[in-house]
Amino acid sequence: MTEFVRACALAEVPEQGTLGVELNGVQLVIIRSEGEVYALAEFCTHEDVSLVDGEVYDHTVECWLHGSCFDLRSGKPTGPPASRPIATYQVRVESGDVYVAL
Amino acid sequence: MSQLQGAVENAGPVSKLHARESFDPVDFPVPTGREEEWRFTPLRRLRGLHVDAPFDGKVGIEVDADPEIPVVLAQHGDPRIGIALVPSDRVSARAFAAAGEVTILTVPDGFAASRPAVISVRGDDSSVAAAGHVVVEVGANASAVVVLDYAGSATYADNVEFVVGDGARLSVVSLQDWDGDSVHLSHQHALVGRDASFSHTAVSLGGGVVRVAPSVRYAGPGGNAELRGLYFADAGQHLEHRLFVDHSAPDCRSRVTYKGALQGDDAHTVWIGDVVIRPEATGTDSYESNRNLVLTDGTRVDSVPNLEILTGEVTRAGHASTSGRLEDQHLFYLMARGIPLAEARRLVIRGFFGELIGEIAVPELAQRITAAIEVELARGMGPGSTP
Repeated sequence: MTEFVRACALAEVPEQGTLGVELNGVQLVIIRSEGEVYALAEFCTHEDVSLVDGEVYDHTVECWLHGSCFDLRSGKPTGPPASRPIATYQVRVESGDVYVAL
Repeated sequence: MSQLQGAVENAGPVSKLHARESFDPVDFPVPTGREEEWRFTPLRRLRGLHVDAPFDGKVGIEVDADPEIPVVLAQHGDPRIGIALVPSDRVSARAFAAAGEVTILTVPDGFAASRPAVISVRGDDSSVAAAGHVVVEVGANASAVVVLDYAGSATYADNVEFVVGDGARLSVVSLQDWDGDSVHLSHQHALVGRDASFSHTAVSLGGGVVRVAPSVRYAGPGGNAELRGLYFADAGQHLEHRLFVDHSAPDCRSRVTYKGALQGDDAHTVWIGDVVIRPEATGTDSYESNRNLVLTDGTRVDSVPNLEILTGEVTRAGHASTSGRLEDQHLFYLMARGIPLAEARRLVIRGFFGELIGEIAVPELAQRITAAIEVELARGMGPGSTP
């Protein structure tokens, strides 16, 4: 059974926005899009750029520097130049807090 | 109109490559990873070498050379330090300021060394950063071979200076064969005298993050520099080589030849080849090339040659870069003669590196590097390797 760790309060994550957190030494980006909450590894698989500064739309996060896109649900790259998927983590929202399974 | 004319006359051609040089770390802001000179380097894996990690650690430096070549430990302020080098980035400037003792080898004028001078750099703790500084002075018309042998486990930033006197010959092999947890950032600068000859071979095999920056300047006309490199990156390894040849004297020659192979997930190599031919460097003969063999999926190669020519009077100036898989035709040729695929791959890769290994002036070292590449190849021949 994977253990869920509290990452942040839901209110800290802007609607259609991002929040960078570090959890047990793992750097993550928490993203809210279309009412859902997602957790991904923080850095773009293309050139190691933080996705905390990325743009969020339509179940997608887009890296601000080169425009790589990732599907928030699967972590799969949906737009170049990134070609490798980004790690995704299970998320649970309980009483206003976001928990992530590491 | 006259105003415009004045502006044009005063604004002589200025190179943008390596424009900033300083001995003071404060002159270099902490890199963010977006700068041209840092954008390929995984800053998060440098353990703060590029920020302000204290240089409290120590690596051992031992020199084995001809007795005629004096080796001294000098302090900052010694006039022999800082001749060939002005730091060009924050790590180099920090290492320059922090290195307490500087190891200086002096090859006397006209002396021909009978055997290679081996400088062994050994680390035993990668949890604390260490800084180092080595100066190799070769007197006029002398000749020497120097081996820099880096091994062990370390987080290490160092500067190495080669001052090659007029008419002298210096051949250097820098072998980076660190343990997998090591981080090594090295600046190796040469000042090549009139009609002198300098060759430098960087061999990077082991280490987590290795970034070597060899550079050459010329103190007078007629200098010749051969810069070669060979690297083999495995899964997760980052091997980076940043070359800089600054043609600032007329009638000098430079050749840069780097070859690398990559295998395994997230094996990453970077090659940057910068050449500046300044307005006064007429008659320059320069060529640089980089070849990369991608042996499996999941690797990444960055290869960027930059050439800035500020005079029309050059003999030759060119560059080339290729990155690709083993050629099917080469493998087919060998397999059609009864050689199995795995052996055919090995033969082609041996041939690829053979040109560079053949140039290494120290036979024991050439053998050691050949053996290390064979080990790499054996490791990569497991299931999942693509032809």
